[in-house]
Amino acid sequence: MDTRSEIAWLARRAGWGLDPGELDDLSTLGTSAVLDRLTDPDSAGVSASASPWADFEPDPDPANDQRARQNLAATSMWLSHFSTGSRQFENGLAWFWHGHFAVSAAVVNHLPAMLGHLELLRARALGNFREMIRAVTVDAAMLVFLDGASSTGSSPNENYGRELQELYTLGIGNYTEDDVRAAAVALTGYVVRRRAGWDVRFVSQRHDPTPQTLLGVDGVRDVDTVVDTVLDHPAVSTRIAGKMASHFLGSVSPSTVDEMASVFADSSLEIAPLGRAVLEAGLAGEGTPLVMAPVPWIVQVMRSTGAVVEDRMVVAMLRNMGQVPGLPPNVGGYPGASAWLSSSSTAARFSSAGVIATRTPDDAPVLTAAADGRWDDLADLLLRPGGFGRSTIDALRDVSRQSGRRPGVGRLALALASPDMLIA
Amino acid sequence: MLSRRKFLGAAGGVAGVAAASGGAWAALLRDSVEQSSGPTPTTTRPATTTTVPSTTEPPSDPVPQADRVLVVVQMAGGNDGLNTLVPSSGTYRDARPIIGIPEEDLVVLSKTDFSLHPSLAPLSRWWNLGSMTAVEGVGIPFQSRSHFRSTDAWLSGVSGATSRTGWLGRWLDATQEGDPDPLRAISLVGGSPMLVGEKSLATVIQSAEAFRLRTPEGIDTEGLISAFLATASPLATDLTLAAAQRAIPSTVDAVDLLTGAFDVTDAGAGGSDTAGAFEVAARIIDLGIGTQVITIGLGGFDTHSNQLARQSALLDDLAIGMAGFMEKVEADGHADRVTLMTISEFGRRVGENGSGGTDHGQGSVQFLLGPSVAGWEVHGELDLKNLVEGDAPTLVDERSIYAEALDWLGGPTDDILGGTYERMGAFAA
Repeated sequence: MDTRSEIAWLARRAGWGLDPGELDDLSTLGTSAVLDRLTDPDSAGVSASASPWADFEPDPDPANDQRARQNLAATSMWLSHFSTGSRQFENGLAWFWHGHFAVSAAVVNHLPAMLGHLELLRARALGNFREMIRAVTVDAAMLVFLDGASSTGSSPNENYGRELQELYTLGIGNYTEDDVRAAAVALTGYVVRRRAGWDVRFVSQRHDPTPQTLLGVDGVRDVDTVVDTVLDHPAVSTRIAGKMASHFLGSVSPSTVDEMASVFADSSLEIAPLGRAVLEAGLAGEGTPLVMAPVPWIVQVMRSTGAVVEDRMVVAMLRNMGQVPGLPPNVGGYPGASAWLSSSSTAARFSSAGVIATRTPDDAPVLTAAADGRWDDLADLLLRPGGFGRSTIDALRDVSRQSGRRPGVGRLALALASPDMLIA
Repeated sequence: MLSRRKFLGAAGGVAGVAAASGGAWAALLRDSVEQSSGPTPTTTRPATTTTVPSTTEPPSDPVPQADRVLVVVQMAGGNDGLNTLVPSSGTYRDARPIIGIPEEDLVVLSKTDFSLHPSLAPLSRWWNLGSMTAVEGVGIPFQSRSHFRSTDAWLSGVSGATSRTGWLGRWLDATQEGDPDPLRAISLVGGSPMLVGEKSLATVIQSAEAFRLRTPEGIDTEGLISAFLATASPLATDLTLAAAQRAIPSTVDAVDLLTGAFDVTDAGAGGSDTAGAFEVAARIIDLGIGTQVITIGLGGFDTHSNQLARQSALLDDLAIGMAGFMEKVEADGHADRVTLMTISEFGRRVGENGSGGTDHGQGSVQFLLGPSVAGWEVHGELDLKNLVEGDAPTLVDERSIYAEALDWLGGPTDDILGGTYERMGAFAA
């Protein structure tokens, strides 16, 4: 890949697209400098950004109509942060971790706690994985989502003890049903005080301190010993490296995953070096084309076009395509490519592309390129510097310049809906 | 470039369907229902395809096998079978001091040792007609308590190994004549991995509201849709891009042919989103476009806490949806063609936990509904005396019910399931 293609690849995969003109600026900076800015923003002098919801204080006990307004506002702040946040890979990883833990706002049903959970993931997105798991284990939203808050020594609830091992760290085959029970017992005792701001508290009377044997380790009896025992297991680095690699790169070879896992393990489960190894492997040609999920697709398309669309409509488009931020369908996280290629998602993408093209400003470079039939320029502005494929160019040529209320709108709509734009 | 009009004409002559309008169950996604789905291929319907299924029925059979429709309802999350079909046993009462269903609320099934959860009362009409049956103790051998491993086993019909295909996808493959017809198999909000075949295709619809092709004012809709179709050919050599291309013509085709089923005038009126999905399924059958398999997904059955209220609401939706579906196919004259089957990845622990819920378990109960089933009895076995790690054991292989359903559809059953499984007699001979 040439530098321009590398920067565009990083923007599509690791970040959230680029504003018009930004591809020129970053290409001048060079791939290596951009990679530093993404994976080591502190050293690269990229300013830290505040929480997407720093200035937002939702009513913890809203009336029904206010609840919907607050949820919409929070979602829009999040999406806007993806576009404008200075630390694009931190946000890219925050989104990955959200899919990994898959905590659903519909289950938590308390906006401040849900936002607290998401901010926990964002603040630690490039941090240490062990610390992230420790924080998530006693996070109010998680304690409610997987029932830790109602799990007691006399009657442990296995939900979190299982998913901690199956989904969040080790993967199936690396633990037994006895390990599930042992973790569940050792983690008992936490409550969420819903009437006191969803404060998390440890209540020793609800905890069973009997030492448990977890993954062959004796004496496990509390959060710290559970987290350390699980995170010391050698399966963690391979599983997390593999999951991160497939999220950002598509399909990669097991030997590549092993190399990334070594980087992760050797850095005591620091996430930033793993993230850098993943992106470097991608730049070196590892991986496969990826079908974009609706959230990154819409954020990137909105940025490239500069389209102005009401928050409510953006969320409706996402819902129709099948992915709403904060609402993963189950504890397995958001579905994969096949869901985004379903008939309903495909139809919704076509309909959304029309709306976005219509709302693209007159002076947007994408609109003039579409009106003028400059297909290579249009593709480059949409972060595909290699150009569109033959089929899409031929199809674009068949759309009249005058299709739409303004010149180029119909062509832009088709370009946005094209299969080329769905592939990152 | 193939024009859209030509495309439609070739696709089966159902052009001119009224303009698309919304459906009733789009909010399902919002409500976090969709089970994550495995790979589902979609592709173009070639211009030469004929959608009318062949009807090579044996002369004595009143309903040709090719006209039969199997509807599989996936209760994602692991439905608690013990509180769904409640046994009249002391063990049950002892294990469920808090979340046991009170005796006075139960819908007793005469001549059996079981009662229905009160939310399933709308289905008792079919039980009493002999058009509903239950199979107890169903599961996968060496049952995993992982949602994902268990779901994979149920949807693929393969246990102990991974499979690229679903059990119904293999049936579609085995019975396909000529080019693939994506409308033979339709997934509504879930269950689509069951339909994945090697060469057959399925139509996957996750949201009714999304299921239309809209263009803003000032844009020639037909022209833009034609151009959208044109982006799909010729196919790229890259497999991922080609998959994205293939989705386009099958979507345009499905939107046109299925539009009638999504007319909102009364779909799911007054009912839940789930009821809307069942209504759409019944309408698809009435469209007569050769659909033979439909999956419907509903989620939320992972009731680790507050199970009484949560499961009641879910079973309300399920029963109202299933009853509405049966009433509509009866009114449309299609009842004899239809069988409805439930599945769920596992049952739940016999003993309740401290959260007013139940943890992941093993064997469970599933239902079959329709005039072809052998009613008035509970098949299989629930054994609460010999629990396995606190769970009711799996005594009936899931593939035993699959085998009967595939026999009913016309097989070849053993080829599809990779072996011969015992028939429970859940379908009337």
